[in-house]
Amino acid sequence: MPAEFAVAPPLEPALRPAGARPLRPRAFTALVLHLTARQLKSSHHLTLLGWGWPVARQLAQLAVLVFIFGNVFDLDIENYPVFLFVGLMAWTWFSGAVSAATSSVLTQRHLVMQPRLPSSVLPIVAAMVPLVDVLFALPVLVLMLALSTGLEWGLLACPALLVLQLALVAGLGWLVAGVSVFLRDVPNLIGVALMILFYLTPVFYDRSRVPERFRWILDLNPMTTLIEAYRSLLLGTPGPGIVRLAVVAAVSVSFLVLGHRAFTRLAPRFADRL
Amino acid sequence: MAERIRFEEVWKAYPRWAARTLRETIDRRVPGLLGGGEQRWVLRDVSFSVSRGEFTGVIGLNGAGKSTLLRLAAGLSSPSRGRVLLPEETAAILNLGDLFDLALTGRENALTTALAAGVLARRARALMPEIIAFAELEGFEDAPLRTYSDGMRLRLAFGVLAQLAPDALLLDEVMAVGDVRFREKCLDYVRQRCADGAGVLFASHSLDEVARECSRVVWLEAGAVRAIGEAEAVVAEYRDAMHSETRARTPAPNGPSGEFELRRNRFGSQEATIEHVELRDGLGRPVSEMTSGGPLEVSFVVRTAPDRPVVAPIVGLTISRALDGIGCYDTNTVNDGLAVQQIAGERRFTLRFERLDLIPGEYFIDVGAYEREWRYAYDYHWHVHPLRVVGSSSDGGVFRPPHCWEVGEPAASSTARS
Repeated sequence: MPAEFAVAPPLEPALRPAGARPLRPRAFTALVLHLTARQLKSSHHLTLLGWGWPVARQLAQLAVLVFIFGNVFDLDIENYPVFLFVGLMAWTWFSGAVSAATSSVLTQRHLVMQPRLPSSVLPIVAAMVPLVDVLFALPVLVLMLALSTGLEWGLLACPALLVLQLALVAGLGWLVAGVSVFLRDVPNLIGVALMILFYLTPVFYDRSRVPERFRWILDLNPMTTLIEAYRSLLLGTPGPGIVRLAVVAAVSVSFLVLGHRAFTRLAPRFADRL
Repeated sequence: MAERIRFEEVWKAYPRWAARTLRETIDRRVPGLLGGGEQRWVLRDVSFSVSRGEFTGVIGLNGAGKSTLLRLAAGLSSPSRGRVLLPEETAAILNLGDLFDLALTGRENALTTALAAGVLARRARALMPEIIAFAELEGFEDAPLRTYSDGMRLRLAFGVLAQLAPDALLLDEVMAVGDVRFREKCLDYVRQRCADGAGVLFASHSLDEVARECSRVVWLEAGAVRAIGEAEAVVAEYRDAMHSETRARTPAPNGPSGEFELRRNRFGSQEATIEHVELRDGLGRPVSEMTSGGPLEVSFVVRTAPDRPVVAPIVGLTISRALDGIGCYDTNTVNDGLAVQQIAGERRFTLRFERLDLIPGEYFIDVGAYEREWRYAYDYHWHVHPLRVVGSSSDGGVFRPPHCWEVGEPAASSTARS
């Protein structure tokens, strides 16, 4: 029989070390979207207010802060409610994502124990869930903008900042999620750190109000720059400038790379520790 | 031959102390670091491979490393030394309790598992009806998982697995929870995958099943491979080892005491002893004779020294025929789903037969108390307690179920002739 008619033997699957099976980007994205959707659903589907809760929570916080810093200790900031809301939304996402990431591996044993599931999706899902929650309040923000300063074209540039913040949050998330499995004090530590950072980030005040000699403390925090940038795009206030933005971009990308590295190094040992 | 699963000189150790907080770290790690750190070796130098089409069983006592072996193969944990190699398309069902989110529905959980295996979203959704159909969960797919029984969870996990067409399949002791029919369906699927060239690694406590289904068996003992080879041979060797373990642990007799004599009709380590064995009739009166089809109670006390309890013992009973030693009936607390936590001091066990339809004749009731893993017997009474069954029947066989005959009307003669 001529060689070309010979039946080819069936392809033998190649053997590779167990566990090292990264998903293709499309499959990874599909998994992130599915897990995000299912987490949102499970946190909202049994409540009466349902999807209204994230919005209600943010508006309640906004109202309290506006009352305190707009009326009791008047900070005398123009368009204070909307100024505050921009900062608050960015901060809520950041702190929600980081604190959810710390426990994302610890509390989701059933997902870590799924043999095929790459656990690196978990901190990403932890970052996506509060983003969606925050975005639910977006119509309120747009309305507030329209009624106060009017809509700026800068609104369209916001997604670029969102991507930058996602990189920061994902990188930090990977880092703290991985470390928390081995050092169970970390979630508590992060809780305290986020509480302190809320006051050390210009969420409800303006960076320019901080005395010059302390300003560097605020500037160490990438969220300071990001919130200033959001405000400058949406409200037309003075922005952080290209240099500081570039530094934040570099920091975010380093966190992303570093966090991912740390996480993938630690991941094979998760199941033994849960 | 093409390999599907390969363990290459695999060692696995767990740190004896897992430091999780600063306090623990200081208390335990620091001396550990200074003294080299304590390690517990769970697998020691394990090497074997599973070729295409091989259904390989893993047997061994609890703690022998079966589950660790499968966890390493599934990539849930990585070896301390050595390598574990598998094909990309590997599927595993290791622990049903860990697998699912109890708040979400069966469908959502199935979707998660499929997506985690790298199936794209659209295809995963399209597969859903087939998954539900294989799992026979129609009507339950949108109920939250916490309402599922263990059997239903297994069916769901298997339903997903059946759509993935894996080249290697890892199953850890999970099929025990399914009903017999679904179990057979799972096994059918596994056999079919084997026939299509997959390799299977299957850990089980059921020696009968391993001997029947598997082509090869790996016997793990204290983390090392004790034997590997053709299934029936290795299982037989394993069983022998268990029996000789009991014999070895039976203390030397110091003369017959009453009807018992150690190493003749009484075996076991005597850490727990069986005493006051009594056969009773339906009214609770002691008997040694019963009517075929009548009620019977077997009652006895398992006793340990109060300060030396035995944990999770298994208690069993066998009825055998005196004439030829044929085993007529065999049961134990594990088979009946009864978990005995521990025995410290005395505990009475009573087994009630509402009716016992043995053919008239002479029988022995053998009772035993065993170590939690069947490693050896604590105490076993062999052919000590006789039972005579009387009755008017001269039927053959070993049991006489309640029955009656019905004879049809004679057929019409015209039909008979044609």
